[in-house]
Amino acid sequence: MANSVLLSIKDLHACIGDKEILKGIDLEIRPGEIHAVMGPNGAGKSTLSSVLAGKPQYEVTSGSITFNGKDLLEMSPEERSWAGIFMSFQYPIEIPGVSITAFMKAAIAAKRKALGLEPMKAGEFLSLLKKKMAFVQMKPEFAKREVNVGFSGGEKKRGEIFQMAMLEPLLSILDETDSGLDVDALKIVAEGVNTLHTPENAAIIITHYEKLLEYVTPDVVHVLKDGKIVATGGHEVIDTIQSKGFESF
Amino acid sequence: MAQDKKPFIDKGHYTREVRPSGDGVVSVPSGESFSKVFILDTPETASLPIRSIEAGEGSKVDICIIVLPGVDADIPLDVFLDGEWAQISLSGIYLCDKKENVSFRTQVHHVKGNCISDQKFNGIASGKASASFFGRIVVAPDAQKTEAYQSNRNILLSYDAKVNTKPQLEIYADDVKCSHGATTGRLDENEQFYMRSRGIPEKEAMVLQMISFISPVIDHISDPVLKEDVSERIEKAIRGMVKYHCPR
Repeated sequence: MANSVLLSIKDLHACIGDKEILKGIDLEIRPGEIHAVMGPNGAGKSTLSSVLAGKPQYEVTSGSITFNGKDLLEMSPEERSWAGIFMSFQYPIEIPGVSITAFMKAAIAAKRKALGLEPMKAGEFLSLLKKKMAFVQMKPEFAKREVNVGFSGGEKKRGEIFQMAMLEPLLSILDETDSGLDVDALKIVAEGVNTLHTPENAAIIITHYEKLLEYVTPDVVHVLKDGKIVATGGHEVIDTIQSKGFESF
Repeated sequence: MAQDKKPFIDKGHYTREVRPSGDGVVSVPSGESFSKVFILDTPETASLPIRSIEAGEGSKVDICIIVLPGVDADIPLDVFLDGEWAQISLSGIYLCDKKENVSFRTQVHHVKGNCISDQKFNGIASGKASASFFGRIVVAPDAQKTEAYQSNRNILLSYDAKVNTKPQLEIYADDVKCSHGATTGRLDENEQFYMRSRGIPEKEAMVLQMISFISPVIDHISDPVLKEDVSERIEKAIRGMVKYHCPR
C-alpha cells in the first residue's frame, strides 16, 4: 500500500456561481502522508476542501478526483464519508435539537449499513463515544448537548476532532481547524491529529498561518494562490512563507 | 421574535365577542386545571370535540393539538380568559402531505387582567398540501398586566406546498406584554451538508432536522408516557413524509 495513491487530483477546475475559484489543481497524496495547503485569503483553500467533501454549491467544471481508486466526483457527500473522507469544518454547523450522541449514532449506523456491517451494539457505541470524548478532553456531559449549539470556538474544533476520531477516516481534511484557537486548544487538536495518524491514512491541513504546523509536521507543503498550486516542497516552504510571506510565490 | 415594546393602543373599537355556545364549550372553573392532547390522525377524527374554552380565575388550561398526515382539518378554537390569574397554553403540530388542507384559527380573548396566554404552533407542509395558521389575540381595555405570546413556525418541504400565517393582535389595554412571531422557511442546507459529510444520508438528515423542528412543541406535553407515544407517532409520520419526498 505504501506506494499506492490515496487521493489523486488532476487539473481540477471548480466554480461557485459563475466565478471560477480553482483554476487547475494537481495533487497526489499517498497513505501515511500529511500535506499542508497554505495560502492567502481568497486563494481557494476552503473551496478545495468543500469540493473534496462534496458541498452541493460548488460545481466542478473540469478535471478529476480519484479517491482510493474510485471517482470521487460521482459520489454524494455521505458516500464520500463512508469511503473514508472526513472534513473538519472551518465553521462547524450548529444543529439545534440533535444531541451529539444521536448525531454520532446516526452517522455510525449509516456507515456500517453502507459497508454491510452489523449494527453496533448500544453498549459498544457508548463506550466508544466515551473513549473518544476523553481523547479530545471533552467533558462527558457534552454527549447530551446539541451539536455545536452554544459551544465556544475551541469546543467546536475539539468537537470536530472528536467526530474525526469516531469515524476513523482514511483522509482527513482540516479546513482552518487552527483558526481562532488558543494555544491549549491548538495543542489538543494537534495531538488528536498526530495520534490518529497511521501509516494507512492521510491528512490535508489547510491553513493560512503556520501555527498548527509547529505541532503537526507535514511531509509535503503546498502553496495555493489564485486557484493554483504555485509551490510544493518540504518544510523549507514554511520557512519561506515565514520570512517573505505569500508575496514571494 | 419581535417584542412589541410600544403596542399600538386603540380603545375605540373594542367590541365584546359573540361567543360560541352549546356543545363544544368547555368551562374551567376557578382554580381548576384542564389539560388535553388531541391527536387528529384519521379523516373521521378531523375535527376537535371542543370549540371554545372559558377559563375562570386562577385556572390552568393546557391544550395540545396534533394533526398527522392524511387529514384535512379546519380547527377553530376560541379561548376566553374570564377570570384574573388564569394561564393558558395552546400548542400544535401539523404535518400536512399530499393535497391536504389544514387550518388553525385560534382566538385568545384576554377579558380580565393578570392572565398569561402562550401559543406555540409548528408545522411542516409537503407535497401539494396547504397549511394555515390564523392567530388572533384580543386584549380588552380592562385586561391590564396581560401577557400574551404567540409563535408560529413553518417548514415548506416541497415547492408546491403552501403556508399561510397571519398573526393578529388587538390590544386595547396599555400595560401588557405581547409578542408574536411567524416564520416560514425550508430545511437548512448547511445543516444538511454537515450531517451528510458525516455519513448521515440525505433523507435521514431531513428526518433529524424535522424532528428537531417539532420537538419544542412536543416538550409541552407533560405526561411522559403520552409524550413518548406522541414522539414515536410523529417520527413515524415524518419518516413517511420523507420517504416519498421529492422537492418538485
